[in-house]
Amino acid sequence: MPFYRLFIKGVNDKTTLLQKSFNIIIAVALFVLFFFLSVRRLDIGFDFSFLWSFRYRLAQGFAATVELSLVSLVVSLLLGFLSAMANNSRVLAISYFARVYVQFFRGTPMIMQVYLFFYIVGTAWGVDNRFLAGVLILSIFEGAYIAEIIRGGIDSIEPTQLEAAKAVGLESRQTLRLIVLPQIVKRTLPALAGQFASIIKDSSLLSLISVIELTQTIREISATNFAIFECYIFLGLLYLALTFPISMYTRYLESRFSYEN
Amino acid sequence: MRIELAGVTKVFTDGKKVLDNICYSEDFDALAIIGPSGGGKSTLLRILGGLISPTTGEVSFDGSKVSFDEKHLIHYRRKIGFVFQAKGLFYHLTARQNVILPLVNVHGYTKTGAATTADNLLDRFGLSADRHKFPHELSGGQQQRVAIARAIAVKPKLLLLDEPTSALDPELTGEVLDMLNELRNDGLNIILVTHEMGFAKKACDKLMFIVNGKLAECGESKNLFTRPRTAELAAFLSKVLEWNI
Repeated sequence: MPFYRLFIKGVNDKTTLLQKSFNIIIAVALFVLFFFLSVRRLDIGFDFSFLWSFRYRLAQGFAATVELSLVSLVVSLLLGFLSAMANNSRVLAISYFARVYVQFFRGTPMIMQVYLFFYIVGTAWGVDNRFLAGVLILSIFEGAYIAEIIRGGIDSIEPTQLEAAKAVGLESRQTLRLIVLPQIVKRTLPALAGQFASIIKDSSLLSLISVIELTQTIREISATNFAIFECYIFLGLLYLALTFPISMYTRYLESRFSYEN
Repeated sequence: MRIELAGVTKVFTDGKKVLDNICYSEDFDALAIIGPSGGGKSTLLRILGGLISPTTGEVSFDGSKVSFDEKHLIHYRRKIGFVFQAKGLFYHLTARQNVILPLVNVHGYTKTGAATTADNLLDRFGLSADRHKFPHELSGGQQQRVAIARAIAVKPKLLLLDEPTSALDPELTGEVLDMLNELRNDGLNIILVTHEMGFAKKACDKLMFIVNGKLAECGESKNLFTRPRTAELAAFLSKVLEWNI
């Protein structure tokens, strides 16, 4: 293999493992180098050692973020599914309720929703458990996105599939269970996995109402020792540790289920 | 098998009359429905298959009338095989699973029994190497052969096919038509909508010619091809056969 082939792939070639790993290292190195140069210009030094003494709090925060995200994933899936169903309802008020919900929560920033929900709705109805409030806010927000993903999945079911199900003699309930749902799941799974990564990142906004999750833990630590840069660099790495595997898994799902031309 | 159509008419919800008072009764082994596109052939076949109901009119096979209410239709459909023009296989299932699903979930086979039936059929039609492939991994011809295998796996008394080869390349058309001819020789009754005039003439004993929702001509296919009685059929045949060798 000529040396330049390490950097440039042929027109119709597949990227080899060697090319891949070599160039990923280059890309990451460039990224880190740029950041490092910026740091050098400012003449600041980093000391991450203090993080070790906060390891238990950090672990708790990390666990809280995972827990918060997982519970919100389940609740937002439920909300998204209900909303997608309601969207197609023949009872128009239900249908429009679902549409208004999706439009409002997708069309406004989550920070506004966090404040309004927690301080007005939450206070008015006595939701004073911050974790519960956090789950509700995050789920309602993400549910609007998931509703659109599921609705897209429902819309993508081709009429011929339903007609074929009818022709082989399936009852409508069987058609839903054996044909429609599996196809929707296969088609929406990559997007839903991607949405899970968004849930994890968006959960950081709940630190605004002092839900003790990862970001809030870091905020509290940095408030005591003012090591803001170290804290936030480490925070970024921890979020990446969660979202990167999901992103890889999403890629894998996309390649596996790309059965339409 | 005997088919009887009495005044079959279909008006779609937009008011378009696609089938206009079709009356026909005939004994057939293989019946080809031919005619210009948009003339109502596929609609007629869907009515025969119990997928849609006629607006008015009656359909009978071997003297028993088809009852077009959903409760009876679901049982009726189970006794009939239906093959679509394309995309009739379930996308999320492999070739083998496509054949197995109706056997298990509609016809009460055990999983092993259904698997054996499916494997035997796929083997017979030269598809055993492809049985674990998904529809998108199969050629158009293979897809249609799997669709036919799925339709006949349940041992229907009648097989309906809606232009089963119109989406295929010529060499793939041949492999599907060969398969159909073999099934017909085994005694399966077939009704198909087709543009394959060679197949309609040689492999089908009876012919219906439908134009603008009306039955313009019908009879023995060998007679109709050589001596069309109506000007419409003569014109249609001269057009579709113009470039035949």
